[in-house]
Amino acid sequence: MLSLDSLTGTDLVLVGMADLAVIREQPVTLCTSPLGACLAVAIFDPVRKIAGVLNSMLPEASIDPKRAGERPGMFLDSGLTALVDRAVELGALPERLEIFVAGGARILDETSYFNIGNRNFGVLESWMKARGLVLVAADVGGLSNRSLQLNGMTGQVRLKISGQPKLKILCKP
Amino acid sequence: MQAIDDYISNVRYLPPAPRVVPDLIKLLNQPDVDSSRVVKIISLDPSLTANVLRVCNSAYFGAALPTSDLQEAVTRLGFQQVYLLVTAATGAKLLATPQKGLGMDPGELWKHSVAAAVSAQLIAKKLGDDFNLVFTAALLHDIGKVILAQAAEDTYFRIFREAETRQISIIESEAKLLGMNHAEVGGRLLSRWKFPPNIVAAVTHHHAPKGAGRHERLASFVYLGNMIAYFMGHGFGHIAFAMRGREEALTILGLPPESIPQYMMETFEQMHMIEALFSMVAEPAAPK
Repeated sequence: MLSLDSLTGTDLVLVGMADLAVIREQPVTLCTSPLGACLAVAIFDPVRKIAGVLNSMLPEASIDPKRAGERPGMFLDSGLTALVDRAVELGALPERLEIFVAGGARILDETSYFNIGNRNFGVLESWMKARGLVLVAADVGGLSNRSLQLNGMTGQVRLKISGQPKLKILCKP
Repeated sequence: MQAIDDYISNVRYLPPAPRVVPDLIKLLNQPDVDSSRVVKIISLDPSLTANVLRVCNSAYFGAALPTSDLQEAVTRLGFQQVYLLVTAATGAKLLATPQKGLGMDPGELWKHSVAAAVSAQLIAKKLGDDFNLVFTAALLHDIGKVILAQAAEDTYFRIFREAETRQISIIESEAKLLGMNHAEVGGRLLSRWKFPPNIVAAVTHHHAPKGAGRHERLASFVYLGNMIAYFMGHGFGHIAFAMRGREEALTILGLPPESIPQYMMETFEQMHMIEALFSMVAEPAAPK
């Protein structure tokens, strides 16, 4: 849709900010816009080849329930629920999902009001714990802006880190 | 000051002074602006006029019938909207140039500046401040980076490394290795270009708004617009988040901390405007 992924020859499909997308057996790469302090979550069911990406802006739907109703992907908690529900509708098993997370860059002063990235990650951890889900790999915090890419067929997750020419592969442990 | 002036004078391709914007700023506070005066000022720069008309006809600013006449555009859109477009077209010319030293792709500094300007303007509108001034200051806040990216291209690698290793801000690292930072250079440049003292002060102190003295309010809008742009991913280069959190910006404007997510959501909803202004990239000025 957008352009061609030069490494795998698959189409790149943009998942914009405050949005989410789930696909099944599609030879495309889902990629987010640059994340800044926002958090992206990628999920993948390797058996059914179901891939999903959430590009959330803020931690909790309680910040603005009306906006969350219109656009669940804007918030991490409502977005995660919508993301997993849609994957399950397409045939994914929650316990089989591989989950990756990236983003949440932080400014220097850890305790500052301006560190919204911190809260995002806390919300993700408790959401996953409540459902017995485990994170496969994460690249969060730090000073760099980045965007996430998920290959719809292989489940490989890569990161484009601003100011660095090469893509980083977010490896499995 | 002399050191900064020397630095600016040594830049090989110094962008031409944008004369139109400082002249239009003088008209901002006048109750009834004579549109022929506005047209006369803008027409002095034909490429600027062409760019303004192009965006004026875009889907977002969308006049029902495309116009090729500046007078008609001013009548249709009004002075405020035309002021915004002229400022944006000027900013595009200055900021949409490649900045190799900063680890940015061409256009990235421009996108960051537009997002900061739209976000800062939104807050100013809510608080009843002069949102045109806020838009202008926030749009041009990183103009100093254009100068330093050229003049100190080879030093930036060390500036980033120093900031990362010592966990200090880019501003602090620039000051340490260059003896000046990009905010000071930007402020000085705008002062030489005859921008008013409030915009100069806001740009000079956009990383620490209290330093702007009686212009601290304007500087606080710019600080917040800049932060929100970074938070939302509109900020690039190496270690873009090497910045300090200045709660004073909120105190000065009387805003609670919860207003940050609020303004992020509202900035997101202005994305169509941000994208319309993104497209305002002018041809880079030919080297002298």
